[in-house]
Amino acid sequence: MSETINDIRASTQTRPAASRWRRMAVGAAALGAVMGPGLIAGLSDDDAAGITTYSSMGASYGYQLLWVLGVSTIALILFQDLGARIGVVTGQGLAGLIRQRYGARAGVGSIGALVLANLGTTCAEFAGIAAGSEIFGLSRYISVPLAALLVSGLVLRGGFRGVERVLMLLSAVFIAYIGAGILAGPDWGAAARGMLVPTMPLTKDAILIATACLGTTLAPWGLAFIQSYAVDKKLDTKELGLLRIDVITGAILTGVIGFFVVVACAATMFVKGITITDAASAAVALEPLAGPLTKELFAVGLLGASLLAASILPLSTAYSVCDVAGRPAALDDSPREAPLFYGTFAVVTVVAVLLVLIPGMPLVPVLVLSQVLNAVLLLPLLFYMAGIARDRRLMGEHAVGRGITSVYYVVIGLIICCIGAMFLLNVLPV
Amino acid sequence: MSAERVLTWGNPSSRQSVEIRRELVASLVSVAGMVGRPVRQLDGSLIGKLHDFVVLAGAGHPPVVGYVVEIAKRRVWLHASDVAGLERGQLILQKAKFDFADVQRRSGEIQLFHDVVDHQLVDLHGVQVVRASDLYLGNVGDGWRLVGVDTSWSTFLRRALPGPRGWRPTPTRVLDWDGIHSLEVSEEKGVQLDAPNSHLKLLSPADLAELLSDLGRSERQELLDDLDPEDAADALELMSDEDAASLLGDASVERAAELLSEMEPDEAVDALREMDAADREELLNAMGADDETDLRSLLSYDEDTAAGMMTSAMVVVPAAGLVSDAVAALRAARGTPDEADMVILTDADGVLVDDVTALELLGEDAARPLAELTGAPWPITVAPDAPLADVVDAMRESLGASVVVVDADGRPLGRILADDLVDALGDDERRWPWQRLAGGAA
Repeated sequence: MSETINDIRASTQTRPAASRWRRMAVGAAALGAVMGPGLIAGLSDDDAAGITTYSSMGASYGYQLLWVLGVSTIALILFQDLGARIGVVTGQGLAGLIRQRYGARAGVGSIGALVLANLGTTCAEFAGIAAGSEIFGLSRYISVPLAALLVSGLVLRGGFRGVERVLMLLSAVFIAYIGAGILAGPDWGAAARGMLVPTMPLTKDAILIATACLGTTLAPWGLAFIQSYAVDKKLDTKELGLLRIDVITGAILTGVIGFFVVVACAATMFVKGITITDAASAAVALEPLAGPLTKELFAVGLLGASLLAASILPLSTAYSVCDVAGRPAALDDSPREAPLFYGTFAVVTVVAVLLVLIPGMPLVPVLVLSQVLNAVLLLPLLFYMAGIARDRRLMGEHAVGRGITSVYYVVIGLIICCIGAMFLLNVLPV
Repeated sequence: MSAERVLTWGNPSSRQSVEIRRELVASLVSVAGMVGRPVRQLDGSLIGKLHDFVVLAGAGHPPVVGYVVEIAKRRVWLHASDVAGLERGQLILQKAKFDFADVQRRSGEIQLFHDVVDHQLVDLHGVQVVRASDLYLGNVGDGWRLVGVDTSWSTFLRRALPGPRGWRPTPTRVLDWDGIHSLEVSEEKGVQLDAPNSHLKLLSPADLAELLSDLGRSERQELLDDLDPEDAADALELMSDEDAASLLGDASVERAAELLSEMEPDEAVDALREMDAADREELLNAMGADDETDLRSLLSYDEDTAAGMMTSAMVVVPAAGLVSDAVAALRAARGTPDEADMVILTDADGVLVDDVTALELLGEDAARPLAELTGAPWPITVAPDAPLADVVDAMRESLGASVVVVDADGRPLGRILADDLVDALGDDERRWPWQRLAGGAA
């Protein structure tokens, strides 16, 4: 008997045919199975608001502030990785953990602000879809409901893997921005200088745009989403290394796309002295400067970015609400099993669509308010995340030490500086 | 069981029910509301504030055995008998003088506010994972006991309010504590705080599987530890392979090996495939020799072939035997992972002759030779390396019962049952198209 065991052991342990290719294929498959949370959560941060911010950064300051994008990307890597880790290790979402670790007031405050901010941001995404489709001459009264149906159908009918697949395919449209950036014929030397040499014009608008860049890249809903997603995906603590690759890939892609958006606008509008107000007007302004294809590429990118974020925002909100309430929340559950999950999803989607479509709705205040809420919410959220990461009771052997925590606090400090400077400059007449 | 109905109020329909509600609410103490409230002596002088309630874990409604009180930034232990009452949001002490002891966590003690409120719990009657918005204590004659847990949104929101509204009980969706499985995760790992809960026995494997996948990582491990190995194994079989693998990976090696040996071999192998090689080896080495051989031989087949999805569990009887031999073999396998509803008949060389279902054996003379029962329809067989599509065809041909996997010499290796095929088809559906074509590990 023992002989047969050893035989079989030998045959299963050292597969003779396990060549390097085979091992690489197995490794790639393992990475493929983990891939998703970092990629999707990262890229969805390049949403309509993000593209607008990057566009006006390029249009108003040329290549000068590109380094802010680099800093944002590093911050994104740090906190997305932290969120994913917390999700995998604790098996719980961010909002629920805040409730458990910091009590009812923190829990109610976070979820309240998160729902409102997410609702506003969802509006921004549908507004982005409206603007993007109108560039192609398609009325928002057709495109927005169509997009809402598409997004809901995807989540309701697709199941977990289905949603993941479509979202990853959707994120491929971001290549459009890279195309637009190259077509604009930028000054690569100036771009490299702007990326590597940090300089900061000390004006209200410059600090505002730098803060907005940090804030739009590191969005609260993105942080909540990556954690819930990692929980729903049932990843193992042993897959944390692969997950980190996923997060870093997603964050760097996010940064690269932001880079090309800034570059496209810097090479054209900044040179001609044109300033813009939103991503759609950037697309229109690009046409006479860089040719018609740039405009179309820019609009396709805006549509895809908005659509990706519009599918994730209601989802992220639903995850968070269920998590705080302690109700089941999983894409694999049916609406009957998880009414709160699907109910939240429906309410966020429907309200956002209505706000965008009903004429006379105060859309601009809603968008501004949601951006402010996102910024205000970000700081406590980052503090909570750093606190949870240090908590041995929640994180066990994966709790982070003092050294790494101080890196988190440096980033948090940087954001406080930005917000503080912005506040001061806004209050004091300059 | 009826507590939920007793304590749940929708719209009070009569004045009487309003009265009952008011009295009942007045008799309850809200744990979340009391924490942070003043602790006073009988003469009303303030000495500190309440930090937490401590109960002794156990079945039913656990008694409050003491309090943690914060006096001048120092946390001290106060025995339950030293407290005169919990009134109007204050803790009133019995005597004027105390020896305050430092707080020590003893085995079996739970700090209600810090260990349970806002944490995940398992509602055994509603079979769902809930979060505790508040806990309610009731004075049932022999002192305060934990009677119920409030899981409502409104109570959770209430606690964020300032002033008295924040701490007055607002029972809305209250579950009887007796029907709750607390997943208190202790600070000092390895301290078992919960008495094994007999209510867990009432849950079906499907319910358990559902609960396990809804819980956080340490909480579900806690629940898994509280289950009997057989119940846990049944639940694991019903979970997705990834979930089962992740649960087994978190458990201790001994416990995981024990659970694996309780699982059906094919389900165990599916879970093992999801683990990384080092963990798989460690687990297999920790298992008994027989189980290990079984699982290793199943693991050696490609997952996407007939052998990869078959179960090695089958009852094999020599075709030269009698009906009584077959019946005895079926009975012997009952309750083990090998349990089956048919016997596989083989000749002297171990080559498949036929299969005979329990139904065919029913009422047959015990002394009748099995050979007389053989005949058409013959069992449908597939080769170990047959791809999924061939297995589907074979299963259709067999009219849905089962398919026997035989080696090149015709010796039976295992059986594929309809549920194994459903699992395999489900896995296939979840793959990317190119993985489906390639059929590789995903």
